Amino acid sequence: MRKIIQGLSLLLFSAFFVLATYKLPNWLPADIYLRLDPLLGMNAVFAAREIIGRALWSLVTLGATLAVGRFFCAYVCPMGASIDFLDFLFFRKKKRLGLKTETSLRRTKYFLLVIFLVAALTGLSLAFLMDPMSLLTRFYTFFIYPLALTVINLLLDLLRPLFEALGWVAASHQHYFQSVYYMTAVTLLVFGGIIVLNRLVPRFWCRYLCPLGALLSLISPLGLFKRRVNEDCNECLKCQRNCPMGAISEDPRKTRLPECIQCRTCAKVCPQDAVTFPASFSLGGEYSKVDFSRRGFLYSLAGGVTVGFLAARTPFSLLQSKHQIIRPPGAIPETEFLRTCIRCGECMKSCLTNTLQPSLWESGFSGLWTPKMEPRLAPCEQNCYVCGKVCPTQAIRSLSLEEKTHAKVGTAVLRKEMCLVWAQNKLCLICAEICPYHAIVFRPVEGYRRPVVLASKCNGCGYCEHRCPVQGESAIVVVPNGEIRLRRGSYVQEAKKLQLDFKPHPDDDRFIPNESEFKVGGEKKGEKAPLPAAKPDSQKPKGFL
Amino acid sequence: MSDPNQTITRRKFLKTAAAGMAVGLIGVPSFSFSKEEYDLAIISGEPVAATKKALEAIGGISRFVKKGQRVVLKPNMSFARTPDLSATTHPLVVATVAQACVEAGAPQVLVLDHTLHRPELCLERTGIREACKNISGVHVLALQERTFFREVKISKGEVLESVEIVKEILDGHILINMPVAKSHSATGVSLGMKGLMGLVWDRESFHSRFNINQAIADLGAVIRPQLTVLDATRALVSGGPGGPGEVKKPNLIIAGTDPVAVDSYGVSIVPWYGQNFKGRQVEHLLAAYQKGLGKIDIDQLKVFREKV
Repeated sequence: MRKIIQGLSLLLFSAFFVLATYKLPNWLPADIYLRLDPLLGMNAVFAAREIIGRALWSLVTLGATLAVGRFFCAYVCPMGASIDFLDFLFFRKKKRLGLKTETSLRRTKYFLLVIFLVAALTGLSLAFLMDPMSLLTRFYTFFIYPLALTVINLLLDLLRPLFEALGWVAASHQHYFQSVYYMTAVTLLVFGGIIVLNRLVPRFWCRYLCPLGALLSLISPLGLFKRRVNEDCNECLKCQRNCPMGAISEDPRKTRLPECIQCRTCAKVCPQDAVTFPASFSLGGEYSKVDFSRRGFLYSLAGGVTVGFLAARTPFSLLQSKHQIIRPPGAIPETEFLRTCIRCGECMKSCLTNTLQPSLWESGFSGLWTPKMEPRLAPCEQNCYVCGKVCPTQAIRSLSLEEKTHAKVGTAVLRKEMCLVWAQNKLCLICAEICPYHAIVFRPVEGYRRPVVLASKCNGCGYCEHRCPVQGESAIVVVPNGEIRLRRGSYVQEAKKLQLDFKPHPDDDRFIPNESEFKVGGEKKGEKAPLPAAKPDSQKPKGFL
Repeated sequence: MSDPNQTITRRKFLKTAAAGMAVGLIGVPSFSFSKEEYDLAIISGEPVAATKKALEAIGGISRFVKKGQRVVLKPNMSFARTPDLSATTHPLVVATVAQACVEAGAPQVLVLDHTLHRPELCLERTGIREACKNISGVHVLALQERTFFREVKISKGEVLESVEIVKEILDGHILINMPVAKSHSATGVSLGMKGLMGLVWDRESFHSRFNINQAIADLGAVIRPQLTVLDATRALVSGGPGGPGEVKKPNLIIAGTDPVAVDSYGVSIVPWYGQNFKGRQVEHLLAAYQKGLGKIDIDQLKVFREKV
C-alpha cells in the first residue's frame, strides 16, 4: 500500500516535470512539489526577507505533519521514493556495511538544517544544496531529461526503417530536440553519491543528512499516529532490523518518534502482530526528544553565519550592478534573485529553446546552479514565457507575454572587428534578418550598408548572437547593459518610461529607411547584365539589381 | 451548365494523356504544351476558391499527381507567425492543394519545411497543421535533423558543388512548391525559388559562404518542383522574410510549372519596399533565368486570368 502511494507520488512528480514546457496551461502548477517543500519556502522567505505567495503552499505540508506525523518522507517525497526504488534495484541482496556511531550521525541533519536556515537569515540561499525536492528536480533536469531524450531519439533512429516500411510517416519523421546542460556530470555525482550511501544503511540520506526530514522530524512527535507495541512482543528485534529509518531503539517497544516516518514496515514484519499505529496524543517519553547537543547547535549556528559571510564576500557580490551574466526575462534584481532562487532547474527544464543554463562560478558561490541565458547556444523565444510560470519562489516572475517581452534582459552589441560586414565588407545580414524586433538596421557607411543596433528596440533575446555566422564567438553579443530587473510593478510601464519599444512597426523598413541616402534609383539593367560582385549597391534593397 | 472550363479541362485531360503517351513513347523528359495550355494561371479571389480554380486552370492536379504517387508540398512555414503577418503560406491554400492531391489518389502527402524558428511553434502558429489535421494521408512535418536530408551533387553549379536536401525529393516524390509572396532582406523577394532553400539542411552557408543569389539558382537546377503555387493572397512587401512588415492584399493565387515564370510574375504584382520591380531586377531570378531554369519576361507568357 505504502509503496503504491509512494510510486504514484513519484509518477506525479515526474508527470509535472514532463508537463513543464512552454505549453503549460496557466492553471497547472507544475512546480507544486517545490512549493510544498517547507524548507525551500523558509529558505527563500528568510533569505529574501519577504513573504512569497507560492511558498505559503508549504504550510500545507507543515500542517499535515503536525497533524499526522512525519508521513511525508515515506509517502510523498519523490526523493525518498527514488532512494527506495534504487535501493531495491541495487542493494536489495547486498549485506549492508552498517555504521557504528549512529547517534552522532543522526544529528548531522539538524546541524545542516541550522546551517541552512542561518545562512538564509544572512541572505544566502543555500538549502538548495541538500533540499531533496530541489536536488531531485535538478537531477531530473540535468540528467534524466537529456538522457531520456537521447534514448528516445536513439530508439526512433533504430526503428526508423521499420516505421518507413510500415508507412508510419509521422513516426518515421519524429525526432525530439536534444536539450543539453552544463553541470550534468556534477549533478549526477551528487545524486549518485546519495544512492551509493545506501550501501551502508538503507535511506542513509533520509536518516542522517536530509535537512527537510530534519525540519519535519522536529514537529512530527506532535502527530496523531504513533507506533505502539503490545505485550505480545517477544523481543525478536525483527522490527528493529527492518526499520529503514533506524527509528526503533534497543528496546523494541520504544520508538524514536522524530525518526519514525510511519512506513509501518515494523508492523508488517512483526511475527507476533504486536505493532500497531493507533491515534494518540501522548508524547512518548525519552525518545520523542530531538537528538541534539547544545554544542553542536552553537557550532552549526556559527557555521551558518560563516558560510553566509563567505558567500557574500566573492568579488562580484559587492558589485551587483556589474555582474556579467544574462538572467532570464523577469528575473528580479540580482541581489534578491540570488537570495530567492532555489536552483531547482525547473526554468531550465521548461525553457523552449534550451538557452537557460546553470551557472557554475560565474557569480560566485552564491550563484551556483542559478539560471543564465546562453544566447550563443540558443535565443529566448519571443512567444514563450514559461520560465517565470514554473518558478516556485518567483525569483523569475510569472509574467504575461507582453510583460515578458518588455522585461529586457540586456542589449546586443556589435563587435565590429569581428563582423563580416564591418571588418571584411562581406554581404551578411543574418542578424538583421532574424531580429524579431527590428532592432538592427543597416546604415550606409563608407559605401556599404553596415548593421547597427538600436539599443532602444533591443530586448536582448539573443537571436542575433545565436545566428551570427562568425565561427566561435559571435560578432554580436548580448550584454547585461540596459536590463530591466523589477521586484514588482510593470515592465511595460518601465520600458515606456525608458522610451524603449520592442514592437516593430509594420512600416519600419530596415533596408530602405526613410533617410534620404536610401532613395532607390529607377533604371533597369540590360538583359545580359553580369551578376554583381560582392560590392552591393547601397541605393537599392538587397537582392534587387 | 455551360462552364467553359469544364470543357477545357476535359479536352486538356485528353491532350495531356496523349502528350503523356507521346512522352512515354519518345522518352523526352519534358512536358509538351499544346495551344490551350497556359504558362501561368492567375486567379483572383478567396484562398480556397482561387486555389481550386488555379489548379484546374493549370491542367488539374491529376496532370501532376497520378494515382499512387507520393507528394511533397513545400509551403513556407519557417516562422512561428500567424497567417495575417504574411510570413508564411496561408493554411487554407496548403490544405486545398493537399486535399486535391489526396483526391487525385496520392496515398501520402508530406507538408514539410526546415523551419527557422522552433518547429513545434511554427507548426502551431502558422495554422498549417491545424488546417491539414483532418485530411487523411496528409502529414505536416518540420524537419530539423540531418538524418532526414541527403547529399546531392550539383554538376553545373556556379557556387554550389553539392547540397543536402530533404530525402523525399530525391526519392521520387512529386514536389509542389507553395511559397508565400514576401520581401526578403537578402534576396529582395522570397517566392518559389528562394523558398526551395527550406528543403536544404545547411542554409547558413548560403548566406555566409556563397553569393546567395547564385546559390539559389544552383539549387534550382537540382530541385525542380513539378508545380509552383504562389500564395499571393497576401504579400509581405517589407520587413520580410520574418516580418512584421507591410502586408498588402493582392488576393491572388499564381500557379505554373515554370518556377522562374511564377516568381517573375509574382515580382510584378505589388511594389516591394515601395518600389516597382520586374523579375529581371531580382538577382536570383535573373541568375536562374541565365541558367536556363525558366522564362523571366512575363509579357511573353501565356496567362490564364480569372476572378472567382
